[in-house]
Amino acid sequence: MKAWHRYAITIALALAGGTAFAVNQVRGGLNDGRVSNGPWETGKSFGTVDASALTRAKVALSGLMALPAKEAMYFTATRDSDGRALDGRCTYDVRGGKLDGRWWSVTLYEGEGWLVKNAANRWSVPASAVVADTQGKWAFTVSPDAQAGSWLPTGSVKTFDLTLRLYHPSTDVIKNPEKGSLPVIERKGCA
Amino acid sequence: MMRRWIFPILAGGLVALGAYQATLLATPYALMYAALQKIGGAGEVNRFAFSQMATADNQPIVRPSPDLSYSTCVFDLSKGPVLVDVMPVPGRYWSVSIFDARTDVAAVRSDRDTQGGPARLALMRQGQKAPSGYEPVLLGYDRGLALIRILLANPSEFPVVDAIRRKSTCKQLPTSN
Repeated sequence: MKAWHRYAITIALALAGGTAFAVNQVRGGLNDGRVSNGPWETGKSFGTVDASALTRAKVALSGLMALPAKEAMYFTATRDSDGRALDGRCTYDVRGGKLDGRWWSVTLYEGEGWLVKNAANRWSVPASAVVADTQGKWAFTVSPDAQAGSWLPTGSVKTFDLTLRLYHPSTDVIKNPEKGSLPVIERKGCA
Repeated sequence: MMRRWIFPILAGGLVALGAYQATLLATPYALMYAALQKIGGAGEVNRFAFSQMATADNQPIVRPSPDLSYSTCVFDLSKGPVLVDVMPVPGRYWSVSIFDARTDVAAVRSDRDTQGGPARLALMRQGQKAPSGYEPVLLGYDRGLALIRILLANPSEFPVVDAIRRKSTCKQLPTSN
């Protein structure tokens, strides 16, 4: 074997391996600089020049055109409050209180972030769709089947995520997203 | 025998690192390019396209919000500055964000920043001049996207919001000479 053959082999393997590893990392979900708050996760550097090459690549894949934190914060839950993966064949109660921002909505996505077909043509629950009690507490149901009260359909997909958008969040939430009070996601049962 | 492989393997290690970093750096440009093609493909550059509300059957970008009305302008600064005028929609969250070719946010202005007034931005490259009355936004690349988000509390508000947002404009600054 000639010397250039050895170089050709290692370089070809390196190109393929380096690229494949990068693609795998980018597709591996947003864990770079993530903070958790109960079942919710967020990042502090969406859409800003501070983002690392890996974070920027991940955001470009799963949240292209995301707003910076002063405008909106994106909290995503792929698990319930007990740590079990969200399953579109199960029914969940999502319960919260007053959120520390100007407006919020919770949207249900499947895969890398696509709205799910459902007969009710409903993909999100905005703040205006829930009824808060005198203490500001509210709840809605995430379920494959129609529910009384505010209902977010899962379309019976195998797995899904919930994304909570908080518009004009308070400076406390921007600084310490792990501390603010966010909704709980409680699994009630599965079909 | 093994010694003959040392330098090829070292070279391979460097190439692997380079390929890894290059892929990470190229990903936003590639995805933004694809998004601009997809969003701008149907319309002209330097002009707003007013999308219908996102539904399961209408998802022009990943992770769309079904509560937001999106208007998009794919801009190109190669022939001079582009002016973005955003008509305010009273009493609700709205914002205009300017994304560059690398997916970074070059500017965001919301109703809170304008105190309910219109947003008037001049998107420019270094060395170009903003006309008076426009806030300059410097960009490192010619192409990018201006995106207006208007929050709807209820889908039934769409016709009213739609009529207002269609007064927003994105246009090439006419050359004076």
